[in-house]
Amino acid sequence: MSNGSQGNGKPLKVIGKPFRKVDARAKCTGQTLFADDIVLPRMLFAKLLRSHVPHAFIKRIDVSRALSLAGVVAVITGKDLPIPYGILPVSQDEHTLCIDKVRFIGDPVAAIAAVDEDTAFEALSLIDVEYEQLDTIGSIEEALSKNEPRIHDYGDEGNIHKKVHLEFGSVEEGFAEADLIREDVFFYEGNTHLPMEQHAALARFDADNKLTLWSSTQTPHYVHRALARVLEISPSHVRVIATPNGGGFGGKSDPFNHEIAVCKLSRITGRPVKITLTREEVFYCHRGRHPVLMKVKTGVKKDGAITAMDFQSFLDGGAYGSYGVASTFYTGALQTVTYQIPRYRFRGLRAFTNKAPCGPKRGHGTPQPRFALEIQIDKIADELGLDPAEMRRKHLVPPNSLTANYLRVGSMGLDACIEKVVDASGWKEKFKRLPYGRGIGLACGSYLSGAGLPIYWNNMPHSGVQLRLDRQGGVCVMCGSTDIGQGSDSILAYIVAEVLGIDPFDIRVITADTDLTPVDLGSYSSRVTLMTGNAALQAAERARELLTLAVAEKLNAPIENITFAERRAFDVEHPEIGVGFAQAVELAEAKFGTIGTVGSYTPPPSAAQFKGGGVGPSPAYSYSAAIAEVAVDPDTGITKVEQIWIAHDVGQAINPVLVMGQVEGSVYMGLGEALMEDMAYRGKRNLVHKFPSLLEYKSPTTLEMCDVKTFLIQERDSAGPFGAKEVGQGPLLPIPPVIANAIYDAVGVRVDEVPITPEKVLAGIRAGAHGKEARYGPSSAPEITWPEALHVATPAEGGDGRAVPRDVVHK
Amino acid sequence: MIPRSFEYSAPGTLDEAVALLQKLGSDAKILSGGQSLIPMMKLRLASPPHIVDINRIPGLDYITEKDGFLRIGALVRESDLERSELVRSRFPILVDTTSVIADPLVRNQATVCGNLAHGDPANDHPATMLALGAIVVAVGPRGERDVPVENFFPALFTTALEADEILREIKIPIPPPSTGGAYLKLERKVGDYATAGVAVQITLNNSGACTAAAGIGLTNVGFTPIKAVKAEAFVKGKQLDQAAVKQASEIAAGESHPVDDIRGPADYKRDLVRVLTARAIVRALERVKGGV
Ligand SMILES: Cc1cc2nc3c(=O)[nH]c(=O)nc-3n(C[C@H](O)[C@H](O)[C@H](O)COP(=O)(O)OP(=O)(O)OC[C@H]3O[C@@H](n4cnc5c(N)ncnc54)[C@H](O)[C@@H]3O)c2cc1C
Repeated sequence: MSNGSQGNGKPLKVIGKPFRKVDARAKCTGQTLFADDIVLPRMLFAKLLRSHVPHAFIKRIDVSRALSLAGVVAVITGKDLPIPYGILPVSQDEHTLCIDKVRFIGDPVAAIAAVDEDTAFEALSLIDVEYEQLDTIGSIEEALSKNEPRIHDYGDEGNIHKKVHLEFGSVEEGFAEADLIREDVFFYEGNTHLPMEQHAALARFDADNKLTLWSSTQTPHYVHRALARVLEISPSHVRVIATPNGGGFGGKSDPFNHEIAVCKLSRITGRPVKITLTREEVFYCHRGRHPVLMKVKTGVKKDGAITAMDFQSFLDGGAYGSYGVASTFYTGALQTVTYQIPRYRFRGLRAFTNKAPCGPKRGHGTPQPRFALEIQIDKIADELGLDPAEMRRKHLVPPNSLTANYLRVGSMGLDACIEKVVDASGWKEKFKRLPYGRGIGLACGSYLSGAGLPIYWNNMPHSGVQLRLDRQGGVCVMCGSTDIGQGSDSILAYIVAEVLGIDPFDIRVITADTDLTPVDLGSYSSRVTLMTGNAALQAAERARELLTLAVAEKLNAPIENITFAERRAFDVEHPEIGVGFAQAVELAEAKFGTIGTVGSYTPPPSAAQFKGGGVGPSPAYSYSAAIAEVAVDPDTGITKVEQIWIAHDVGQAINPVLVMGQVEGSVYMGLGEALMEDMAYRGKRNLVHKFPSLLEYKSPTTLEMCDVKTFLIQERDSAGPFGAKEVGQGPLLPIPPVIANAIYDAVGVRVDEVPITPEKVLAGIRAGAHGKEARYGPSSAPEITWPEALHVATPAEGGDGRAVPRDVVHK
Repeated sequence: MIPRSFEYSAPGTLDEAVALLQKLGSDAKILSGGQSLIPMMKLRLASPPHIVDINRIPGLDYITEKDGFLRIGALVRESDLERSELVRSRFPILVDTTSVIADPLVRNQATVCGNLAHGDPANDHPATMLALGAIVVAVGPRGERDVPVENFFPALFTTALEADEILREIKIPIPPPSTGGAYLKLERKVGDYATAGVAVQITLNNSGACTAAAGIGLTNVGFTPIKAVKAEAFVKGKQLDQAAVKQASEIAAGESHPVDDIRGPADYKRDLVRVLTARAIVRALERVKGGV
């Protein structure tokens, strides 16, 4: 494995340079074909009939009136697709169309294929469904107090999907050593991804009864698996092509019912069938940020050193499992990679509720605990009379270390990140010194560069690349990765171009096609640059090796002298002696036959060997620090974010412009979550989404967006290609808490929940004026019985990453 | 989503339009800017069988001053108002109002008259027109009539217009010297409907006291646009010092009837009415003195 290789040690020509994206021209000129743009002859259009009640048995469905409408070609219902599916092996709880029960408003019960969209739409109102309504579960509290009716007949108990309890080292001993113990409760409201492109999919069965699905998905590999299973066809007869995604952010990472429905309809009708969801339906697909209630107890020494942390999280999961079990673990996993936490306990619970299912959104399960952690650190610094920047810097996790929960930290640039934003913002002159109504705050974050374990546990690579070189000098990179706008296609081209000494635009990139490209697990968990990058690097180095041998022979030069640059291969000691790149390929083809190489990447084995240790390990962690300056109007509670300084440790920027784009995009998304976004439901019983539209679901525009100063910290990590780490998700993490911390500095109010809307700030100001605690947020977390802890001795205690057997714990 | 199918007519004169409306009765809906009607049709909250598009009728896009009134024709777009020199110099309150409506794309289409005709308490012009004492000119089969704007909004999404009447013009009395006005709106983000909005128009007499012409209108804090009559009565004849402004704003807040909704809790909105009324009065006073 050639992880972290930097080519021949020669100066980089492509990596680190602001090349344009390989798909930029097509995007800017409107030539990119998104799923909805694809048109096939004889194509039909599909629509889904979605439940308008939140929780009910389906007593009867009658599709006869719809079927008799002119132009309707087929109608299917739940019984046509009886096999369940779900992204995680442990949560196979979805059906393409509900069979006997609907679980939220928006759950589909029937699908129609018709000659045009209007007809399909009209036919929806001709399907008669008789429901027998059930009592609903609307919140975490309700799920805890009501075992019946059960939304699902699986899970830990009643309406609790999952409960977990992990303890690393003796937390009680840690608290006993503390000079100060703080206990705080926080709430993070749910919000959604809001991609510009609505989900769309097009299915076609060909003459040999083989299926092709074009879909705006981030995970063609998992869609491929689900289709084969649910449709009961051989996986080798299924081809999934992920079309360029017009934004994903995690919202297109599950196999979706509409994708399976169009395949079934195509099979029945023998015609291609397309569906494009409406914006309203995208809100029902959701899989967005879980609402999470958190209770955090942290013990510290007088200098702010943490002695122990006890973290509880309660997740409102919505109606289905989705990634929820992983999300639950993620709310407890990454607390330990920023500031040293020698002993750590995590308890997490996910509840089922009759609302649109939650899942992974940018940062997957980590922005919520990061919000709690970074505000609590701020409160601790305040109470200890320490500067929150200095306090953080004193207790950072050292590079190349193992955390209490067995996460292996490699490069760690958080110190440099904090230093950068502190200096750039004038923190020392401003913190606690600005006039009332103006404030400045600091927060940090960290995120994985790819999950260390695949969703389906196996020993195969997470990412594969095939490289084909032809005698015209053409280079084609094939990889299963999916470009969702982040630039993953470009990353492949840049890396191969660097190694082979050619121009990135000489390269053809074919991605995300399960027939043509080797598996890459998908665009999630910030894994793509690191994993496909390493695979591409390996494939390119292997190709270069073949070319080198052939060229060395031809030039009669020592093998180690052969260098590739400027579309040439030459003797580094006699640069004038060389061949063009195309000729180099010809020589190699003559010598070895057709030139094709492969590369693959498998993450290093994890140190976390306990149950639940699958979530959190990663080949590398990115770090970010942000400072925000805000102006708060004390009469209206309105917060204006004036400036954000953010530094992100990306290891090595493969392309600094793309990295900055991800940082700024994350800041933007974080501001929306911090200040206004809210996946809210109307009514306690009848759980209707309050505003499934872009008019009422508020997300910032360019006019709300503040100025952002971005700094890239490049502490190369040996795990990444050329030292690169992630940037797609991490920079979002500090944003919600940095706003809360800045508001505290401005008006002395702690808003311990997002979104931080004006009325909450005002309520805090009022409470303070009336001699109460100037705070807005949840007052308590539920007291529940947790399962017995899985004890793991920390590395410092001599642990080996495995759980301590029960009888040993109880001795 | 897709609207239900409908018939479409585009009459070339007001008379033709009125005749069509008379014939079709409640089956017809007038289309002007389309920025409220089309979204409602798309969401199928409205499914009118017949659309009468008045955009082809010439001569309705005027902003003029005549016979002591500023006159705004039925096809004046919000963006025309923003750009009008006459409006900018004489009615800064109208510029305040139009510039906080939606976004430039919407404002290029949306009409000022449609903003009133839609009868939405969340729309911004009604409060301003209430503060200005505007008059709505309606034309129908029975000829033309003037409706004072304070009588124009009887109930939620309802106006004083009959089904066969067209709002042809808004008339705003030209204010006497020593007049100033301001409209202030708070919104969750740019382009949103108001969480609360307040329009204030005041005229001072020689001794600096508020004359009887004072107008205060409130946006989106009740089922209809609200004319804050008690606050208006309070300021009349008063020197608007700090204490009076404070008291007036508290009275105005008491006249609002907000409800809890996605824009915030009722109490918060009532608070905003108080804060905005005070700020709008102060801004209006500055403008009396020639400020901007
Ligand atoms: C995204 C968005 C945001 C918006 N935000 C705001 C906002 O913040 N503040 C605000 O005030 N408004 C807002 N609006 C509404 C906008 O200002 C509308 O344009 C306005 O309410 C209606 O004007 P219109 O000319 O578009 O009317 P139309 O949509 O054409 O008609 C609206 C209604 O009025 C009737 N009508 C129209 N003209 C006449 C007439 N001359 N005579 C009789 N009846 C008539 C129609 O039959 C229809 O019932 C927003 C609209 C959009 C799309």
